[in-house]
Amino acid sequence: METNPDFNKYMDRWYDYPGQWDSPSRCGLKVIKRKDGKTLVIATEIYRQNPGTPVTEWCAPLATLLMHELNCSPENFLFVEHTPDLRSKLDFYGETFDLVTFEVRDNQLVNPSWSRLTTEQVDGMMEG
Amino acid sequence: MKFKLIYPRWEKLEGQTIFNLPPHGPVVMAADIPENVEVDFTDENVEDLVIDDSPDFVGISMMLTTQVRRGWEIAGQYRKMGKKVIFGGISTMLHAEETMTHADSVFLGEVEGRLGQVFEDFNKNDLKKVYNFLSKPPDMGLIGPARRDILKKDLYYHKGFRMVDLFHASRGCIYDCYPCAVRYLGGRGFRPRPIDRVVEELSQMDNNRLFIVDNSLALDTNWEKELFRAMIPLKKKWVSHTIEDKDEVLDLAAQAGAWYVYQAVFDTSDYIRNRIKQYHDYGIAVEGTILLGLDNQTEDDIKRLIDFLLEIGLDLAEFTVLAPFPHTKAYSDLLKQGRIFDTDWNNYNAGKVVYHPKHMSAERLAELYQYAWDTFYKDEPQTMKMFNLINRVVAREIADDTYAPRRRDLANLSFGKEVR
Repeated sequence: METNPDFNKYMDRWYDYPGQWDSPSRCGLKVIKRKDGKTLVIATEIYRQNPGTPVTEWCAPLATLLMHELNCSPENFLFVEHTPDLRSKLDFYGETFDLVTFEVRDNQLVNPSWSRLTTEQVDGMMEG
Repeated sequence: MKFKLIYPRWEKLEGQTIFNLPPHGPVVMAADIPENVEVDFTDENVEDLVIDDSPDFVGISMMLTTQVRRGWEIAGQYRKMGKKVIFGGISTMLHAEETMTHADSVFLGEVEGRLGQVFEDFNKNDLKKVYNFLSKPPDMGLIGPARRDILKKDLYYHKGFRMVDLFHASRGCIYDCYPCAVRYLGGRGFRPRPIDRVVEELSQMDNNRLFIVDNSLALDTNWEKELFRAMIPLKKKWVSHTIEDKDEVLDLAAQAGAWYVYQAVFDTSDYIRNRIKQYHDYGIAVEGTILLGLDNQTEDDIKRLIDFLLEIGLDLAEFTVLAPFPHTKAYSDLLKQGRIFDTDWNNYNAGKVVYHPKHMSAERLAELYQYAWDTFYKDEPQTMKMFNLINRVVAREIADDTYAPRRRDLANLSFGKEVR
C-alpha cells in the first residue's frame, strides 16, 4: 500500500478513475467490509491533487465503477463522499461527510442524493 | 471556405453601465484556424446576426453561461439549413453535455495546434462529435498572436472612446477558489506564455489600453517581475486581476502601466484595508469585486462589508451574487444540499439569485444585492467614478506621449448604435 502523509482515518489510498470526457481523475479511497456484509466506501475529494472531475460531479459513475470492482450488489453498497478540512481561512473548505444514495437502473447507480453525516455517524458506520 | 464565427449575445445586468469589450476567446481561437479559411466574425452584443446560407461551416464561441441558450438557438437555425455547427469556449466546456445535443461537434480545451485537424475532418465530412483536449494543454509557445483583425473595431467605442482590448499572458491557476471553475477549465497548474511571445503580441496591438485577463498575476513572483520589466518599454496602460502584494512587484507593475486591478474583497479585515492602501500607494486604482450570498455572510455582514468598502476608498466596486456554475466547489456543495432552485442558465448572470442562501431568503439576498449597488454609488455614480479613472490614465498617457484622442467620427455612436 502506498504511504502518504495525506492518508488518514478516512482515506488510505488513491483511486484513479476516468472522469467526465475520460479525463484522468483521482480521489482518496477507503473501503471497509463490514461485519453485516455491507461494503462501505469513503471517496475523498482531494481538490488540487485531483487533476480531473470532482467526486461530487461524477459520484454516480464513480460509485458504479467501485461497486462493480468490489463485486457488491447495490443493496450492500454504502457510498460516502468526504471533503477534508483544508484549514482554509474560508469556511467552505471544512471537513464534511455525505451519505450518497442512488436509484438503480440496469445495475448502474444514477440520480444521486446526498445526506449530511456527522463525524460520529461516519465512525459508527465504519465500525459496522 | 467560409467559416462563420459567432459570439452570442446575452442579457446585461439591469441598471448597470453597459460596456461591450472586444471578446477574447474568438480572437484567440481564430489564430489557430488554417490560413486558407475565410473567417467572418459576428459579435451579437454589438451587431445583428444575419443567418443565411453563405457560410460553409459555423462556429459558436461562448464565454458565459448566459450565452449558452442563445448559442443553442443559433445553432438550431443553422442546422435546419443543413450547416454543420461546432461549439467552443469556456461555457461550452462548462455545459458540454447539454451543448452536444445542439451541435454537430464540440471542442473542449485549448485550440492551439488542433484546429487544422478539425477543419481537415470537416472537409472530409468526418467531423468528430467531441474534440476533447481538456487534460491536454498545448505548448504555451504556440499561443498567439490573437487574430484581432476579425473584429469590427469601430463597434467597440462608446461616444468616441475606445474600449480596452483583452490580452492574456498565462493560463491556469494554482488556487481552487470556491466560486471559480478555472481548475476545470484551465487546469490546476500555472502556465505562463513565453515572455518574448507576450511582448511580440503586445507590440503588435494598436490599442494602448488593455485588460490582461489572466486569472491572477500573483502566481509566480519571478515571472511576474520578468513580465512587468518586459512591458515597461511598451508604455501600455492596463487593467488586470490581482497583483502580488510585494512592494518590488507593485513598483514594477506601476512602471509597466498598471492602471487598475480587480481585487476580491471578501471581508472587513486589516489585510484587505492594507492591500487596497498598498495598491493606491503605487498609483494603482482598485475595483473591488464583492461576492454576496456566501454561506458565511449574514445580512449584517453584508451591510458591514458595504460600509467598509466606502471607508477604504475603493475606486470602483462590482457586486455579484454567488452563481453556482458547474464544475465549481460552490456548485458541488449547493447541489449536495439541494439548494439550487433555478437551472435556467439565462439566470446565471451573477445578478440573479438561483439558490437558497444559508442566512436569508433568496428574495432578501436580491434586495441586499441592489442595496449594495445603490449604497456604494449613492454619492458618486458609477459613470463618474469610471470617468475619474479614465482621467487618471489620460494624464499618464499624455505624460508619456501615448495618448490617442477620442474619435470624433464616432462621437454619436455607442457600440455601433446611435446615441444623442
